[in-house]
Formats: sequence, C-alpha cells, structure tokens
Amino acid sequence: MLWLQLAITGLQVGALYALTAVGFSLIFGCTRIFHFAHGATFVLAAYVFYYVESQGYGTAAGVLAASVAAVGFGVLMDRLVYAPIQRHEGSFFTVFVASFGIGIAVQNLVGMVFGRSFVTVTTPLSRSVEVLDGVYVSPLAWIAVACAGVFFLGLWFFLRRTNLGTGLRALADNPELIRVFGLSPRLLSTYAFALGSFLVVPAAVITGATAGLNPALGHHVMLISLAATIVGGIGSIGGALVAGFGLGLAESLALLQFDSQWTEAVTFAILFLFILLRPSGLFGRAATS
Amino acid sequence: MEAYLLNLGVLISLYAILAVTLNFIMGYAGIYSLAHAVFFGTGAYAGASVALNFSASIFVMVPTAMLCAAALSLLLALPALRVRGEYFVAASLGLQVLAVTVFAEWKAVTGGIGGLIGIPPVDIAGFEIYSPGSFFILSLVTLAAVVAITRLLVRSSFGRSLKAIRDSESAALAFGKNIALIKTTSVVISAALAAIAGSLYAAYMSFINVESFMLDTSVLIMAMVIIGGTGTQLGPIVGAALLLILPGALSYLSFLPQTEIGSIQQILYGLGMAVLMIFRPGGIVGRGRAETGEGEA
Repeated sequence: MLWLQLAITGLQVGALYALTAVGFSLIFGCTRIFHFAHGATFVLAAYVFYYVESQGYGTAAGVLAASVAAVGFGVLMDRLVYAPIQRHEGSFFTVFVASFGIGIAVQNLVGMVFGRSFVTVTTPLSRSVEVLDGVYVSPLAWIAVACAGVFFLGLWFFLRRTNLGTGLRALADNPELIRVFGLSPRLLSTYAFALGSFLVVPAAVITGATAGLNPALGHHVMLISLAATIVGGIGSIGGALVAGFGLGLAESLALLQFDSQWTEAVTFAILFLFILLRPSGLFGRAATS
Repeated sequence: MEAYLLNLGVLISLYAILAVTLNFIMGYAGIYSLAHAVFFGTGAYAGASVALNFSASIFVMVPTAMLCAAALSLLLALPALRVRGEYFVAASLGLQVLAVTVFAEWKAVTGGIGGLIGIPPVDIAGFEIYSPGSFFILSLVTLAAVVAITRLLVRSSFGRSLKAIRDSESAALAFGKNIALIKTTSVVISAALAAIAGSLYAAYMSFINVESFMLDTSVLIMAMVIIGGTGTQLGPIVGAALLLILPGALSYLSFLPQTEIGSIQQILYGLGMAVLMIFRPGGIVGRGRAETGEGEA
C-alpha cells in the first residue's frame, strides 16, 4: 500500500503547490510580470499567521492577518517596484532581477525577526488517522485538497462572471486595447497582484501546520510555482492547477524509485523536458520561440 | 591584513572571470543564464579530481576542466536554441537545481555533501603555487587572459553576429547567420572559460563542496554583471569587486550586531539590486538605460 500512501501525500503536497502556482500564474498571465518575490509573499503570510496564532489570537485572526500581509505586500511590490520599472523600460529581465532582489531581502528580514530554525504551527488536525490498512492520512490533507478546489472554483467564477474578472482576462489578452475601453491597465494590474497574492494564504497556513516553516522556503515555493506555471502553460490558470497537482504527485511517487534527496531534481527534470519538448505546456495557447 | 587583502584579491579575480564569462553570453548573446555556477562547479570538481588522481599540473588540470564544462554546456545550449525570455531562465534554473543535486549525491566523484578535501596546489612546470601572493598573480594573469579573449571575440565578426542575434534573431537569420551554431559556440566558450575559474578555485581553497556552487552563487554572479553593467567590458569586473568588498567592509561597522551581519549584507544586496533596476537598469558602468535585455516578453 506504499504507493497509495505516497499518492495521498502527493495530492496533499500537490494541492499546496497548485494554490501557490495558480496565484503566480494569474499574476504572470495577466500582467506579464515575472513576480519572483511571490515566494516571499508566501513566507510573509506563513510567518504572520504563525506569529498571530502563537500569540493566542486564534486561527481566524491569524488567517485575516496573513491575508492582509500577503495582499499588502503584493500591491506594494506592484506599486513601488514594478510600476516605476515598467514606466521607462520594463524588459523582462529588469523586472526579474528587481523581484529577485526583494525576495532575498524579505527572506533575510524574516530570518532576522523570527529566527532561521524550523517552526511549526501545532494543531490537532495534523495528527494522522489510519484510514486503510497501513495508510495514514491527516485531516489537513483533505483540507488542503478541498481548499485548492474551493479557491480554484471561486477564482474561475470570479474571472468569468464579474466585471473585474473580465477586465483581468482582457488585460492578459491585450493591455493596449483596455485603454480604449476606458479602463486603466495599471489599476487592473494592482488587482491581479492583490488576488494572486491572496491565493498563497491557504497554502502558507496549511504548510505551517504540516511541513513546518523556515525563511528559505520562499525559494522552493517560487521554483515550484514557476515550474507548474510553465508545465501547465503560461496564461492557463487551469493548467497551473493541474500541473501543481501533477508535480506534487510526481515528487511523492518518485520516492518509490529514488532516495528523498532526488525529489526536487525530479520536478526540475520534468520542467526541463517540458521546456525542450513542449514549451507551450499542457494547456498553453501558443509556443514562443 | 596583507593575507586578508591577498585572499580578497584572489577571490575578486576568480569571480571576475565568472562575471566576465557570464557577461559574454548575457550582454552580447542575450542568453540570461541562471546556471553559471554549474560550470564553475563542474570546472572545480573536474579540476580537483584530476589534481587528486593524476596530476596537479595546470596544463592537465585546466584543459580537462574546460572540456568537461564545455561538454556539459551543450545541455544549456539546447534550451537556448529553442526558447527565449522567461522560458530560458526557467530552463537554466532547472539545470542549476539538477546540477546541485548531482554535485551533492554523486559521491564517487564529488565526495557528496562533504565535498573533496586535500586538493593539491596547482603546479606550473614544476613550481607549486602555494603562497597567496603568487596565487594572486596567477589569478590576475588568468583574468587578464580571459578578458583579452572575450574582448577579441566580441570585436570580431563572431561578436557582431552575437549582437545581431541579441537585437533581432529574425534579422540575423535573414542575413544568413547560422544562429544555432553561433549561440551554441558562445555558450560553450563561456562555460569553458568559467571552468578555468572553477579549477583554480579548487586548487586555491584545497577544499570544495556543493555549498559554493548553488543557485545563490549563480545569482551572485548574475548580480555582479547587472550591478556592474550588462554588455560592458569593465562592468562585470567592477561588479565583482564591489560585491566582494562590500561584505568585508560592512563587518567593520561596529554598531551592527555581529550575529546578524550575514543577513544585513544579504538585505542590502537584495535591496541594492531592486533599487538599481528601478533607477539605473544599465548598471554602474552602463550608459543609463541602454543594452539591458530585449524588451520582449
């Protein structure tokens, strides 16, 4: 039953990957900004939740504070860093370097404030229950998968059924044309950042309770989100979701064959092959070359 | 103090070699690689293995390291031919992560996490280069040679073809340039030259492990190029010197808490990158906002 156990763990990990990747994919798809500091958003949200929770204010207050921190950071990044860069040039690489720099600064700042060792949020929900003979699942695994489903459906309805959602999809298609309709691409881009950053909160909170936190986690989260976005196909939010789950499963099931040190390599071997053989990803619209 | 300065001088020269070679593909071919530490590492491991098992002669060690890195660089050339922009950066990131895993796990060659110890000092025609002073001269001479080679290449017709590809691939194609060959050659040259720095680094430190060749190193090298000025001759060297001198200078400021020095350095370096990109994307040596990236994406 080892494979079943690994598959369930993979689904749980994959759900968290999918949530962060969908946020990154939304931001990247809409604004074309390579928001490398997305991993920093994740770390900030996770640590704010951990802090508020451990001070005894309760889970709800923790989630609220984490959401404010994540959305605030995302919007500030857009306004203070990306907007000025885009005003004069906005080449992909300039944006990437600035974002990377901020990511490094945040990681070290969090390390200075909260310490560099692992911390975990303790909750009875992370205790595993034997559901089948030799297969242990913690309630958090179901919560993670459910969160991914609920948030994705919510996002889907938002993008299809609301004016703001339509605006965001228009931004992804053609930022110049938006101006003709009297909308501001800058304002819409800020909304994309707010929404995309908010989507990391559930993943950040659940990671705090399952795998534990440390400030260097942001890097890993970012690399996975990037891999899932590209494997899923840039511009396809559903693709990011599927790829997030797929990468989580692949990483976990790889344990059947390889030692645990190789799991990250499995993800990136998949990414590398996709870029070589199918750069448009699973659901991408058109391949760039 | 003198030993400290000589050590710093050696490290600046070696990192400047890395920055100059990365600038060669970044600034002139438009190939933004986040995997340069892979070739630094390949050179170091290959050089160290040769020195430990066969001969510490510079004429054996360095060419072997260069050959290994050149062969491996074909893995990076492959995505460079297929994709651009964010796709290529992602591919190079993938290669970097894969390489770190291999460096850390291929115990027979790389010694695993523990790394390789007791690497003999480099030997030039019977003279062992032991003292930091003579090693500093060696690394300086090597840096000068690498700068001369890249300068020559950039000014040749090959360099003009590279710049043409960077600025417009389709235009270069229309002029009958063999884009695949030119790009691959530039990646191979850059990796092979970076491997020189790697093998000298191994001989100088006499100990290497995976810690020196991780993504952080790739980012550091990239930051040296960008902060100094992408696509300029002098920029990468200025960037390397600046980023290596700054941490040392910072530890002299006594009002900073000593335990947090590392973090403060990293924060300043991160913020510095961001601020520079906002106000002066061309780098310190660069002309205002010229020559960074192709602005597509």
